[in-house]
Amino acid sequence: MARFVLRRVVLLFAVLFAVTFLGFAAMNLLGDPLVNVVGVLAELDCEGIEAGTVEDTTVDAASRDCDTVAAAKAQYHLDRPVPIRYVLWLSDMATGDFGTSFQNDQPVSEVIREKLPETLILLTMAQIVSLGVAVPWGVIAAYRANRAFDRGSTVASFGLLSVPNFALGVVLLYLLALRWQIFPSAYESGSFGGLVFSLVLPAVTLGLPLAASYQRLLRTDLITTLQEDFVHMARAKGLPPMRIMFRHALRPSMFSVVTVFGVSTGALIGGSLVVEQIFGIPGIGREIVTAVVRDDFPVVLAIVMLVAVTFVVLNFLVDLLYSWLDPRVRAR
Amino acid sequence: MVEQASAPAPLLSVRDLHVRFPTERGAVNAVNGVSFDLYEGKTLAIVGESGSGKSVTAKTLMNLLPRTAQVSGEVTYDGQDVRALAAAGTKHFFGVQMTMVFQDPMTSLNPVKRVGEQIAETLRYHLGRSRSEALEEAEELLEVVGMPEPARRVSQYPHELSGGLRQRVVIAMALACQPRLLIADEPTTAVDVTVQKHLLDLLDRLRRDRGMSMILITHDLGVAHGRADDVAVMYAGRVVETADARTLFFDMRHPYTEALLRSIPRIDDPVHHRLDPIPGRPPELIDPPEACAFAPRCIYAQGDCLGGVPELSGLVGLHRFACLHPTGTERGMAAMSANRAAGVTAAGLPVADSGGGG
Ligand SMILES: Nc1ncnc2c1ncn2[C@@H]1O[C@H](COP(=O)(O)OP(=O)(O)OP(=O)(O)O)[C@@H](O)[C@H]1O
Ligand code: SF4
Ligand SMILES: [Mg+2]
Repeated sequence: MARFVLRRVVLLFAVLFAVTFLGFAAMNLLGDPLVNVVGVLAELDCEGIEAGTVEDTTVDAASRDCDTVAAAKAQYHLDRPVPIRYVLWLSDMATGDFGTSFQNDQPVSEVIREKLPETLILLTMAQIVSLGVAVPWGVIAAYRANRAFDRGSTVASFGLLSVPNFALGVVLLYLLALRWQIFPSAYESGSFGGLVFSLVLPAVTLGLPLAASYQRLLRTDLITTLQEDFVHMARAKGLPPMRIMFRHALRPSMFSVVTVFGVSTGALIGGSLVVEQIFGIPGIGREIVTAVVRDDFPVVLAIVMLVAVTFVVLNFLVDLLYSWLDPRVRAR
Repeated sequence: MVEQASAPAPLLSVRDLHVRFPTERGAVNAVNGVSFDLYEGKTLAIVGESGSGKSVTAKTLMNLLPRTAQVSGEVTYDGQDVRALAAAGTKHFFGVQMTMVFQDPMTSLNPVKRVGEQIAETLRYHLGRSRSEALEEAEELLEVVGMPEPARRVSQYPHELSGGLRQRVVIAMALACQPRLLIADEPTTAVDVTVQKHLLDLLDRLRRDRGMSMILITHDLGVAHGRADDVAVMYAGRVVETADARTLFFDMRHPYTEALLRSIPRIDDPVHHRLDPIPGRPPELIDPPEACAFAPRCIYAQGDCLGGVPELSGLVGLHRFACLHPTGTERGMAAMSANRAAGVTAAGLPVADSGGGG
């Protein structure tokens, strides 16, 4: 077991290295890094402006823009050779220095620290909702496979999967928040309880379609597992159906769900961009939209790296989860 | 309907059992009117080739068939209707009164649970043992079934054990609650030949020690020999011959039984036939013709064999067989000579003029 974990940890670092390298390469090796980072501002002849030899068309703005260009050069070590640039950039990130937002001169790490908790809570709640709905749903559907409930849930889950996030969000918001006023319509940060409560609708919006796909996978795997000899054996032992379901069949049937659980985080983060807009949640999703619109490269890069790393770490955890689900994995 | 032949009530009684599976290609008639009795402390061997309906019969008794299966007939255990008990979800019946061991020990243990837990689980559910008591008992049971180092095994996973050891675990699991009836469905087919005998002898010893009744399912008549009190030979979902073991081995009437006996490789073969595989393959179970199912492979087959399905003769509990030209009778001898003279049976099977006879 220790060796298994060790191998996975080594792999984790290899993948993290690859992800950061790709991020770095995209910025530094595809075209002019300065253009990649500051866009059109790269064309400003800041030295000329400073020396007064070039006409400064928009005096105020341009000198500020020149500050931005200078900041970018310093932040990404653009005056150093590429390999050194990478090492410096990595060590900056490793120490939590993600640079400074071009937009409001706030350190990016601070921006993230402010916005991340909301999004993390939202995503966690969304996964809890999806698993909480999918497991009982899948179990009941598989227990009476091809009966009325199962057929109904096939239709329902395809329905849920085909409704876009924003539509589901708007409908839920309208019905449950505005019409019947069960949930708050706006984000509340007063207390943790209030925060969680106000995130219920967004979490359901994100989680329900996911629950539908989990349910499909779980149902299919369960039906296969239920035909296994060891399930027959458990029945021959006289154990009641639901006990067999939860103690024998469920765990070996979780592989697809767990795999998709890891992968779906990407989709969830994508979904959170939309959902945070609809429900006015000041999280990472909304932040990245704003940052992209305003060309705030340090923030965009940091968030993209963060998402990539989260994705990798989560899938690492999924790998560990496999070995818990099936002891045979450890032996491999 | 057939009447019972002897006085004491059987532990398990099966009457006119039919099982059909609707499939896209048509209904599979897997079991077609099986009847037998099993008395307390006795062993009944059900013998037949692959596909003859042995497992389906066993699964019907244990209520393990898929929901699509259409079942009719009666199964009574100790005077109670088993299918009604199952439908009512009666607790502590399966596993405590009757239980089953499956063919493949590689797949009949849950791969993600420790061996000890899988045994303990039954004890906890049926007998209300605490976790630690149950685990202790599991260890004792492993010792009873001859598991080496039982203390270490309880915390191992199935994949860490060999096939033979796994089957011991399965047997320990089945025996945990001291069932009165054990159905063993080809319990040794999937394990090494050297392990087979050990396991069969173990089962036999445990059955004797505990006064248990057993249904021993096998495709190998040799396995039944010396271990079964009664034998039922199945073909195409029917019992074609059934008798006490001695009669069946030494005075069989059905050509299929005879053919089965010739096909087993045994040095101490009681009948000293040479080894002969049965020609042809088992019949289709979808839309079977109204004829003796064995006719295409039977060297005795006559025209009347193709005219209808032969009935099983006599009373339940006595020597019964379903054949119009039984081995070892005058009719059988006549049929055999006629076929030899013609060089072919009524069903078109070529017969050599020489060759061993009854
Ligand atoms: N669920 C099912 N649906 C359709 N047909 C089935 C089903 N289960 C069994 N059968 C068919 O019923 C017939 C009898 O099967 P069964 O498993 O009882 O054979 P068996 O005598 O146990 O053979 P083996 O020695 O191979 O185990 C076979 O032809 C099989 O294909
Ligand atoms: S002799 Fe006729 S009835 Fe008897 S087994 Fe052969 S074919 Fe069937
Ligand atoms: Mg079988």
